Amino acid sequence: MSSYFYNLIPAEELAQVKYIPTIPEFLNWIENKWSDKPAASDTVNTYTYREFCTRIARKRALLNSLGLEKGDNVAIFERTSIDAIEMFLAATSAGYVGIILPTALPAQAVIGCCMKFRVKVLAVREEFSGMVKDAPCKVILSSAMSDEAAPSAEVDRNDPAAIFFTGGTTGAPKGAILPHRALMRGAFNGVFAPGSQLGWHRQICLLPLSHVFGLIRSTLSAFYAGAEWFPAEDMKATIGKLPVIKPTLLVLVPGLCEILLGLVKMYGVQFLGGELKTIIAGAANVAPSLISEFDRMGIKLLAGYGMTEGGNLTTGNADVLTHPTSVGKPYDGQELKIVDGEIWFRGDNTFLGYYGDPEKTEETLTEDGWIRTGDLGYIDEDGFVYITGRIKNLIILANGENVSPEEIESPFYDYAELRDVLVSEQSEGGKSVIAIEILPRPGFIEGKSEDEIYGHFKKVVEEVNSKLPSTHRIGKITIRKEDFPRTGSMKVKRN
Amino acid sequence: MTRNEILDGLKELMALVKPKLDLSGIGEDSNLITDMGLDSLSMLLLSLGIENKFSIRLPNQKPFQAVSEVIDCIAEQLSAEGQKEQTTQNK
Repeated sequence: MSSYFYNLIPAEELAQVKYIPTIPEFLNWIENKWSDKPAASDTVNTYTYREFCTRIARKRALLNSLGLEKGDNVAIFERTSIDAIEMFLAATSAGYVGIILPTALPAQAVIGCCMKFRVKVLAVREEFSGMVKDAPCKVILSSAMSDEAAPSAEVDRNDPAAIFFTGGTTGAPKGAILPHRALMRGAFNGVFAPGSQLGWHRQICLLPLSHVFGLIRSTLSAFYAGAEWFPAEDMKATIGKLPVIKPTLLVLVPGLCEILLGLVKMYGVQFLGGELKTIIAGAANVAPSLISEFDRMGIKLLAGYGMTEGGNLTTGNADVLTHPTSVGKPYDGQELKIVDGEIWFRGDNTFLGYYGDPEKTEETLTEDGWIRTGDLGYIDEDGFVYITGRIKNLIILANGENVSPEEIESPFYDYAELRDVLVSEQSEGGKSVIAIEILPRPGFIEGKSEDEIYGHFKKVVEEVNSKLPSTHRIGKITIRKEDFPRTGSMKVKRN
Repeated sequence: MTRNEILDGLKELMALVKPKLDLSGIGEDSNLITDMGLDSLSMLLLSLGIENKFSIRLPNQKPFQAVSEVIDCIAEQLSAEGQKEQTTQNK
């Protein structure tokens, strides 16, 4: 282990924590270690670690009563809530595989996911239960539990624990299968930030649990550290409660950091509650200006790097003020190297493969266990890692989700008046925006002014936008006068 | 409160949410995404700003596209609040 991370927390705290490679062992450890401390709160109900683990054991008993076999898939369609995380931990500690579905999924996609991933049980939030009447599996309420508790199952560190969607949430997502060791390595790595971390934090989870950053760093790491965890079932309402909850640590995507800054400008720094010391930012590029703006308020904003396939946390930067453009150093339990400019890593944190997709798995995971990240970068002489670009054709959305441009482009091909479109991520004033270039059909533009043509396609974009999830919407339109550069097979060439 | 007054209030919030945006051309017909470049997160900030500035709660509905939709919604909530107050006073 590089002592880089171990030295961040006081020696007496370092002596108390260890890497625990499976969820059942982890639940056992947090129950004994943090027993009567508050674990999870929705500001109405608060459960201690002991109560929280008992509720998980009762949900485990319920799942066990449904005739599931080890390794069966259990999907959860919920908001970021106590019920959601309890059901996920119940499933994984009972030897099943947990799949947390994105809350924004339309009913049809939920059913589609249940079929694609051969889900045996779907645990659903009561308000969504009307959407899943046609689910091809058993449906239970995520709040349901048995009267009796059931013990955890025996699991191996390499057994699959969870499937996460990556590479698009509205089309045909890939399902990255993470074993227990990877979830727990990410969770353990997340404990390390400068200063005391154990037994006192209050953390609001503003990120979706369907994303590794929400589930691992923002949630499992919080339980590792004995924090009190407040899930944001409703993002707007929870942000409004910041002055009451007074969080001490937040895990955010850069877009949410911007929101906090906007709120501070509107209502003053006291809106953050006055006790916020640390922000962990990631899942998208963190601008150095964000780091310095929070530093001026006495809040340390720490950036890192990771991906779903690598258990969330690959590198972390505790020296943001001296190395603001770096994503930091590799965490413990893994190796990291640069191959032809591309970042590769392997270790406890690597995934097992994509569900039902050996071809895509082979593209990403080498025979000897390295993950080809698709990100370009370099390591400086002090061991700091820098990301310089991306090989993979993916757009990182403001909320940290990834989407392929083709997914946003496809609805445009229903419009006969355009010949081709190209969607890309562009930077505008330091912020990234989803941009579209449109090549109209020659017959359509004849006799029309530039304003008329722009006005028409603006309406087309607005129409498509109204059908896309709010995170996927196009904010910048360019009309092309000349054809796109094309490949040998006449496809539009992407940069 | 008239629609113009609501629009002026909205513009003040927009100046905080999107400091570099040219507000002079913003009117009821403007589109929040394609004209003003708001993404889902800046929309969330705008909603929080609206709730505080106008002392209303915005319903969690389909996200807004046009400025006129935002004004409709604020006007509706303000009138609902006004009616509530009226009822309380009448009691």
